[in-house]
Amino acid sequence: MSNPATRVTPVVRPSTGLIPAGVPGSGGGFWRSRWMQVAGLALVFVVGLLLPYLGTNSFTVSLTSTILIAAILASSVNFLVGEGGMASLGHGAIAGAAAYGAGWASKQGWDVGMQVVVALAVTLVVSFVYAVLSMRTSGIYFLMVTLAVGMLIFGLASKYSTVTNGDTGISNVARPEFLSEYWTYYYFVFGAFVVATAVLWVVRQSPFGASLRGIRDSESRMRSLGYSVAWYKVGAFMISGVIAGLAGLLSVWHTHFVSPTSTGVERSVLLIVMVILGGIGTTMGPLIGATVVILIENVLSSYVDRWQLILGLVFILVILFARAGVAGSIAKLVRRIRRRRGSAPPGGPSGPEDAAEAVLSNHPA
Amino acid sequence: MSMTMSRGGRWAAIAGLGVAAALSLSACAPPGSSTEEPTTPSEENATGTLKVGFLSPTSGNFAIAGQEMLDGWNLYWEENGDEAGGVTVETIAEDDAGNPETALTKAHKLVEQDGVDIVVGPLIASTASAVAQYTAPLGIPNLHPVAASNDMTQQNWNEFTVRVGSMGGTQSTYPGGVWAATEGGYKKAVTLCHDYSFGWESCAGFVQGFVENGGEIVQQIWAPNTTTDWAGYASQVAAADADIIFVATAGGAPGPGFLTSYLDLGQPIDKLMLNCCAADQGTLRAMGDRIIGLKSVSYWAEGRDDPATKEFVDSYIAKTGEVPGAYIAGGYMTAALLAQVLDEKGLVTGSDLVDAITSYTFEDSIFGKVSWDEYNNTIMPVFVREVEKGEDGLLYNVPIAEYDDVDQWLGKGAPADVTAIVPYDQTHQGL
Repeated sequence: MSNPATRVTPVVRPSTGLIPAGVPGSGGGFWRSRWMQVAGLALVFVVGLLLPYLGTNSFTVSLTSTILIAAILASSVNFLVGEGGMASLGHGAIAGAAAYGAGWASKQGWDVGMQVVVALAVTLVVSFVYAVLSMRTSGIYFLMVTLAVGMLIFGLASKYSTVTNGDTGISNVARPEFLSEYWTYYYFVFGAFVVATAVLWVVRQSPFGASLRGIRDSESRMRSLGYSVAWYKVGAFMISGVIAGLAGLLSVWHTHFVSPTSTGVERSVLLIVMVILGGIGTTMGPLIGATVVILIENVLSSYVDRWQLILGLVFILVILFARAGVAGSIAKLVRRIRRRRGSAPPGGPSGPEDAAEAVLSNHPA
Repeated sequence: MSMTMSRGGRWAAIAGLGVAAALSLSACAPPGSSTEEPTTPSEENATGTLKVGFLSPTSGNFAIAGQEMLDGWNLYWEENGDEAGGVTVETIAEDDAGNPETALTKAHKLVEQDGVDIVVGPLIASTASAVAQYTAPLGIPNLHPVAASNDMTQQNWNEFTVRVGSMGGTQSTYPGGVWAATEGGYKKAVTLCHDYSFGWESCAGFVQGFVENGGEIVQQIWAPNTTTDWAGYASQVAAADADIIFVATAGGAPGPGFLTSYLDLGQPIDKLMLNCCAADQGTLRAMGDRIIGLKSVSYWAEGRDDPATKEFVDSYIAKTGEVPGAYIAGGYMTAALLAQVLDEKGLVTGSDLVDAITSYTFEDSIFGKVSWDEYNNTIMPVFVREVEKGEDGLLYNVPIAEYDDVDQWLGKGAPADVTAIVPYDQTHQGL
């Protein structure tokens, strides 16, 4: 495979019908008038930038950091599921493993630089194990493999107590000196979110991203065209894994703490919930999903005893009535309004809806 | 089209990176960020209100225990009024769902938004250490009504975290081992404990007490903390060549689960000794008269003949019709202690409050005489208990032996360097 990326480009023209024309990031852009999307992003960006100056207290700001970290992690899942059709139940464990790497380094009394090195090494190793074990699977089998590896990591975290401190977890993990203030750390997390989102967006636009979507929609067809499907999946998993590892490192620096709960299956399930709530395959979906879930978990629960019931209800309602998620449904709505005005472009099935459909129904290979 | 797209992609990437770089350079302190530093609020002090943030898991896997510890806390203030020594105690309760990250976020909320003076709870070991490492550097006292992890007052101890209404897992079972090998006259023991920190620590206490007094451990069996079917474990312990079976689990379903399987095998109840939580009131209510005579070891004995204990137990029965278990007692004890200290010292916060508590000796608490060691852990009685039916038809754990002033060093004195203590696990049981 000298440079398969260049070969793939002509294959995945929307006109070939290999992928739906309107899939976000596939080149068509899901809002025809691009400026609306840009305006939305700009608004989020400006609010994010000014947040600490908007009369918020330190709790609100650090809660926003929590949301952004969850959104980075959800983005990594979203990339894999949206582009590659691979729904992972193991990303919580990847992030957790990275956090443990940093925590362990800090326990040894090593400095922050070494924390980053160890966290990165752990992330790469763990992601590679995941990727290799799951490279020849798809759909439900992929889900099961990632679930199993995730449980393995959870088991290690809670049982290998000489390294991980068992259930008590590793506490007092220091973050870099210049990020010690809650608001400097917020900006750091915000910057990381912007970079991670941009990187994933670029990968999505690239020929590599197009090939992934090809694999998502028809593995056998891509294979017959000469693509090494398994290695494309490994590549996708590694990219996604590194982003997840970044989220893990940010999270342990945020809370100064890591315990087996962070690697648990529940965490990974919540990530899937965030991705579906926000809209599979959309750029801003993970942020929206993470915001909803984290706010219900941490703010609504102060007022409502049965907050988990509400989370469940929201999820069910989204699945029933807005399968494309919040971001996807807004896009759909905008499109419909425009079509009614007669200015809509002809044809083109609804993008996010199809991405969601493809994933939720375990798309045929 | 592909050309424009990839150019757009590159452009966006460059823009994103540029913005990130600009962010890290240009960020300057938001207004008031320095004044918002959470400190002990002095305004509240002047008005004589002590704000308490109460963290417990009232949803999720540990919801029952979490709710019970909150109920115990609330019961005290309902009965005695929320004022002590001229100080009004205001409680803000938060649900941590048994999740360390949620617990930590809620602790941030309580401290930074609600401005609480102290944090009480949470329950689970991981949530407890997550919260303690946040509150301690801020100088906010953190009182623990139930949490039982050893390291909280050993390797990870800090000046502001105080165990108030419970003991370390090892500390609370050690006298059980001592009693079994001496007064009980047992020679060989098999243990069955949960396979995680709490189980390892609880087993270690019994094992050390038993072996140090001439007993022999023939086998140690570990059950995952997700175990729901106990039949296999019950037959394993029954088949072991031992005359006493020690079982330590967390509270809730495991206790009744194990006992049902064990008794269904037709095995005798008097071969068993359980820990605090496996034989807590929930188990007694679930099992009924079948387990009369069941022995267990705990710092809480609801059937103890003592005025303070009786008063608390009776008022809880009057309110709910049920006998209070250890978690409720822990919450009640924490409130009672705080009230005592406020009564004596008036409004104290921060390290003054911690000092007031740890230098205090609570002579007539519902647990008996309680004092604190230099690592903020309780020194108090441990009871070997037996299930008896009271005159009211309810089941009680009644003490048959009492060990006073049990400390976390099991009578051996604190090691020179507590941070060097190796945590217990399956293979390291302190022998």
